[in-house]
Amino acid sequence: MAKTYDCLFKLLLIGDSGVGKTSILFRFSEDAFNISFISTIGIDFKIRTIDLDGKKVKLQIWDTAGQERFRTITTAYYRGSMGIMLVYDVTNEKSFENIKNWIRNIEENASADVEKMILGNKCDLDSQRQVSKERGEQLAIEYQIKFVETSAKDSLNVEYAFYTLARDIKAKMEKKQKEASNPSGGRSGVHKPTLNDARKPVTWLSRCSVL
Amino acid sequence: MNIQNKANKYVCPNDRQLSLRAKLRTGWSAARSEPPLTPSEREAIAAVVKRAEKVDEVEAKRIGRLVARLEGMRRSARGPAPRTCLLCGETARLLSPLRTCAVCRNTACSKCVIDTPPHRSPLYSREPYMCNLCAETREMWKKSGAWFYKSVPKYTLPERKTTRRYAETELSRTLQEAGNSSNEGKTDSEPGSPLSIHAPSFSRQPSNTESRKSVPSPHDGPFDWNETDILTHGFSGLSLHRADSLNQRPLGLKRTSSKSSAYSVRNARKDAQKPVTQIERAPAIPDAGFGTLEIRLAYENATSSLAVTVLRARGLIGMDMTGLSDPFCRLEILPKEGTYSNRLRTKTVHKTKNPEFNETLHFFGITESDLSVKSLEIVLFDDDRYGCDEMGSATVSLRECAKSPTQLRLALSGASGCEPTGPRILLALCYSTKKRALIVTICRAAELPSQDSNGYSDPFVKLHLDPDPYHKKHKTSIKWRNLNPVWNEEFLFETRPTELSRQNLTLTVWDKDYGKPNDFLGSLILGASSKGRRLKHWMDCIKYPDHRHEQWHSLTDTQHL
Repeated sequence: MAKTYDCLFKLLLIGDSGVGKTSILFRFSEDAFNISFISTIGIDFKIRTIDLDGKKVKLQIWDTAGQERFRTITTAYYRGSMGIMLVYDVTNEKSFENIKNWIRNIEENASADVEKMILGNKCDLDSQRQVSKERGEQLAIEYQIKFVETSAKDSLNVEYAFYTLARDIKAKMEKKQKEASNPSGGRSGVHKPTLNDARKPVTWLSRCSVL
Repeated sequence: MNIQNKANKYVCPNDRQLSLRAKLRTGWSAARSEPPLTPSEREAIAAVVKRAEKVDEVEAKRIGRLVARLEGMRRSARGPAPRTCLLCGETARLLSPLRTCAVCRNTACSKCVIDTPPHRSPLYSREPYMCNLCAETREMWKKSGAWFYKSVPKYTLPERKTTRRYAETELSRTLQEAGNSSNEGKTDSEPGSPLSIHAPSFSRQPSNTESRKSVPSPHDGPFDWNETDILTHGFSGLSLHRADSLNQRPLGLKRTSSKSSAYSVRNARKDAQKPVTQIERAPAIPDAGFGTLEIRLAYENATSSLAVTVLRARGLIGMDMTGLSDPFCRLEILPKEGTYSNRLRTKTVHKTKNPEFNETLHFFGITESDLSVKSLEIVLFDDDRYGCDEMGSATVSLRECAKSPTQLRLALSGASGCEPTGPRILLALCYSTKKRALIVTICRAAELPSQDSNGYSDPFVKLHLDPDPYHKKHKTSIKWRNLNPVWNEEFLFETRPTELSRQNLTLTVWDKDYGKPNDFLGSLILGASSKGRRLKHWMDCIKYPDHRHEQWHSLTDTQHL
C-alpha cells in the first residue's frame, strides 16, 4: 500500500459550501468528476504522490466541509497543514467575498508559515460568471497570495494549482533550511569548548608559573 | 463630565469585552445554529480520522526510519578528533586532506563530505563542504517535516517497541500493533534498512536505553547472533557504544568468524568424543586491570599438534586517543628450542577493548613430553603502524590440556618491559609557554642498525612538525661511526598549545652516506593519533607545559611520509 516517498506535505482546502472543493480534490486525486452535489461531512482527505524535481512528495490533501456547522472540526485541521487552498466559486459573489473571512480564519488558526493560494473554481461556467478574473487577481495581489482560476469539471488548472502550491512549500522548506544554518553556525560555538578544553589547563598552568 | 465623555469615547476595550466580541464572531456569517452531529455523521468523521491515523502511522514509521538512520550514523561516527575524519576515523594524508564541515566545524575525509552547491548560500562560499552527518541531519529535518513543525514530529522507531514522544496515547498503541503486523510483510522499507535484519535482536533487549543504544547503523549488514549477545551483556556505556562501531568493519570480523566456523566443523567431532572440561580460572586470579583472555587448548596425539583457539578478550586497556585499542595476540611456546621460532599471531581486531578473536592457531611438533615442561605465552599487542605496544600478557602451562581440551580464562598481567628494546631513541618534549614553542630535545639513540660496511652507521635525525604553518624542518648533527649516538640537541617549533593536539612530530633517523642516498635507520611519530607510550608522552607534553618530559621510544623500521 505504502510506497516510499521523500516528503509528506499536508494541504487543506477551504471555502464556502458548494464552491467545488471536493470536486477539485476528486479531479486531482482520481482525475474524475461527479456532477451531483454531495455535501462533505466534516472532513475527508485524499492522497496523491507527485514527483517534484526528482523528489517523491506525498500530498495528503484535506477536504473540509464548507458548512458552518462543521467549523469546529475543520478548524482543528488548520494547524497541521503546510499549504491551504482558498476556493471560491466564480458564479457566486458571496463565496468570493467570504474569502477575506477565510483568510482571517487562517490567520487565527493556521501556522504562520503556511503557504496559501486562491482558486476561483467553476471558470468553465462563463455565462453565469459573477466574479471576473481581474477581481480575483486583485484580491490575490492584495493579500500577496498566488491565484488561479480552475475548473474541476473541465480539468483546467487543477493539476497546476496543486503542483504550484507543493512547489511553493518545497521552496519554503529549502529557505528554512538555509535560515536554519545560521543557528547551526552558532552551534559550532557548542563544539568550540572542546578546543578550549585543550587550552584551559595550559592557560591555568601558565598563570601559575607566572606566579 | 466632559472629561468622562472623552474617556468613554476612546476607552480601550477590556478583556471581557474582547472575549465577548470574540464569542459573537461578528463579521462572520451571522447564522450560528449548530445542530449536534448525527450518529451517521459522527461515524463518517470517525472513519476519516481512522484513515488519517493509518497515514500518520506510515509517516511515523518513515520518520522513525530516518531517525534511526541518523542515530546509526551518529553512533558509528568516530566522533570529533583532531586530524581524523569525524565519521570514518581516517587520518589526514598527503593526497587526501581533510575537509572542514561548514556546519559543525569538524574535520572529515573527502569520502565523508559532500560539496554544498556554492550558489545555495553565501555562508558556504568559504568552506563548501558539509560532513555527511550534518547533511543527513538536514535531510532528516527536511524529510520529516520538522522544518515546518519546528521539531521532529511523532515517530515510531523501526523496532517493534516504542512510539517516542507521544507514546501514551491510545492511537500510538494501535499504531504499534499495526506496525508489528506490517513489519513482517514489509514492503516499504528501503533496501538495507536496518529494521528487517535486526528486528529479532531488539526483543531481547530489556531496557529502553539499551535498545536505543543499539539501533543499528545501516552499514552493519549481517549481524552475528554471537555479536548481539555480547552487546546485550551490559558493558560500560563507552564499550557498548564502541563495540558496535566495531561492526563497522565487517571485513575483519567476518574473516575471523568465518574462520572459526571452518574450524568448528573439525572441532565439533572432537568435542563429541571428549567432553570439554571447563576450568574457570577467573575467580582464582584477580584481574590486574589489564583485562582477561579466554582461550581453548586442545592437544591432538595423532598429529602431535596443539590447537589454541583464542576466543575473546575482555576489558583490555585503551591505547589510543578514544580509549580503544587494535589488539592482536602473539602466541609462543616457551622455552624455545634452538633457533626454531614457535611464534604465531592472531589477526587484529580493530577499535575495541573487547575483541572477539575466534581464531584457532596450530602449533605442530609438540610431543607429549613437551606438554609437561613447556608453557604457552600469550602477549597482547596493540597494532599500530608505528610499532606495536604491549597491552598485557599471560602464560599458561601446557599441562592443562594434556588430558582433554580445556577452556581457560586468563587474567592478563601488565606489560612486562616498560623500556623499549631494540633500536630506540630518547627524546624530551617541553612546551614553553614563554616562547610559545615546542622544544624537542634529541638526547640519544641506542642499538641503531648498522648500515655501513664498517659495521657502524653515521646517524643523524631529521624532525618536523606536521602540519606546520612555518614548515620548519630540523636536523641534528651527524655522529660518525656510532650506533649509540648522543646528541643532546634542542629544536624549537613555534606552535600554539591548541594546535599541538592536531599536530604530529615526525622523527626519522638516517645514516649519512656520501655519494649515495642516505640509509634509513628508523622513524617515530608522536601525536594525538599515536598510541600507547607515544600518545602518553605527547599528551603529557600538552597537559603539563613548561615541564620537560623525557622518554625512550622504540624506532620502527617502516618509513612513512
